[in-house]
Amino acid sequence: MIKKIKELLQGKPFNHPIHPILVHFPIGLFVFSLLLDLATLLVEDAGPLFRGAFYTMALGIVTALVAAIPGLVDWVDIRSDHPARQTATYHMLLNFLAVGLYVVNLGLRLWVWNEPKVPVLPLVPKTPFVPLVLSLGGVGVLAISGYLGGVLVYDDGISVGRHRRYTRTPRETLRVSPDGAEEGYVPVAEADSLPNRETLRVEVDGQVMTLINLNGKFYALQEFCTHHFGPLSEGSFRNGQVECPWHRSCFDVRTGKVTQGPAKVDLKTYKISVRDGKIWVRVPKEETPAGER
Amino acid sequence: MKSLIKDFLQGKWLGHPLHPIFVHLPTALWPTALLFDILAHLGVGGKAILYTSFYAILVGLLAALLAILTGLADWFDIRRNNPAWKIGWYHLLLNVLIVLLWIINLGLRMDLETGLNFVPAEVISIPAAPLALSVLGTLLLFVSGYLGGMMVYDYGIGVARLSKKEWRQIAESGGARVPPE
Repeated sequence: MIKKIKELLQGKPFNHPIHPILVHFPIGLFVFSLLLDLATLLVEDAGPLFRGAFYTMALGIVTALVAAIPGLVDWVDIRSDHPARQTATYHMLLNFLAVGLYVVNLGLRLWVWNEPKVPVLPLVPKTPFVPLVLSLGGVGVLAISGYLGGVLVYDDGISVGRHRRYTRTPRETLRVSPDGAEEGYVPVAEADSLPNRETLRVEVDGQVMTLINLNGKFYALQEFCTHHFGPLSEGSFRNGQVECPWHRSCFDVRTGKVTQGPAKVDLKTYKISVRDGKIWVRVPKEETPAGER
Repeated sequence: MKSLIKDFLQGKWLGHPLHPIFVHLPTALWPTALLFDILAHLGVGGKAILYTSFYAILVGLLAALLAILTGLADWFDIRRNNPAWKIGWYHLLLNVLIVLLWIINLGLRMDLETGLNFVPAEVISIPAAPLALSVLGTLLLFVSGYLGGMMVYDYGIGVARLSKKEWRQIAESGGARVPPE
């Protein structure tokens, strides 16, 4: 049940993440509200503009809170050691700050410049100083947090292609020491920690790899796509191939060979085997060609 | 010179695509105009409601101009055989239609006596034609917006375009095989 709600909030039924859609509303509305505030300083008949600023600010707060819900769901899924994790947290905190500023802003407009009788507002000749400064501050904070939001998507690929992956993605990278190797194979995880169509992101001896379970068979490939280096541990699966979530290059999970571009270079693969309920991976000093079960 | 303009419109100087930034305003404000039109139709609120609708459409149109220029700059660099090219083309066509609808919508609301001063006409309630145009303009906008989102979240347009170098370093220090530079 919780899984279904989470999938809905991540936009899986719509093949489209929800948070980026909803985010348009608070941003557009808060910017517009500020423009209306500034317009009251310039025109004669400022009353309707001041009211408009109030209504759009209120709407902005409501839509911001709604947008936060799928945003939180997306945030929770970011891997703990992902370069974007901290960016996402700052983005979230700045947004809370912005909404807080707007709530104070709205409250002031209602209770200082009017009795608390919604939606009656006075026909002020221009927006008073404190609410105006709060509006400027709010948009300033949003400009930073919005920029970070863009960094999350366009620099870090957060939630790009995520809707194609139906199983959960790794929450952390397993860092395994190369000691304990037997005949070059290192034990990395329990076999039942890797259910069907899921992945583990593992780092052994400086090699970051994606471990995949596809229908009971295990494979180990380099984590980074050879196109723009997207996270294959967050990829989706089709016909024995892993598809990179960013630009959809496909690779054969058994051989690492490119089956569909835009990538042009095959992936490194690693020998993997399951013994005594554990997954063992071989990390060679030089590259090896094919992986095996 | 042409590529300087294109680079500028693609946001290279900012380290961030520009098109998605400008897109926020029409995408938020035109449905907002519809909402306020509906409120006006239901007799809620007074003059401020239709004034807000009017300026929401106007500001949305001004931002849409910038969204169009930056969007074209982004679209030029999509390869013809990328499925996203065609999606971009439909997105573009729909947006041209949408912008025209909102321009007509705004025109119907302008006080023709004051000419191009962008003053809302003094109406008490909203006539049918602008309301209908707001409904149509918003519905089409949702479709075109969805296509735009598809281009980013389904096909990765603009994703890791400017950050490729950093990711390459991360991949290399993670022992990955990488293409020659």
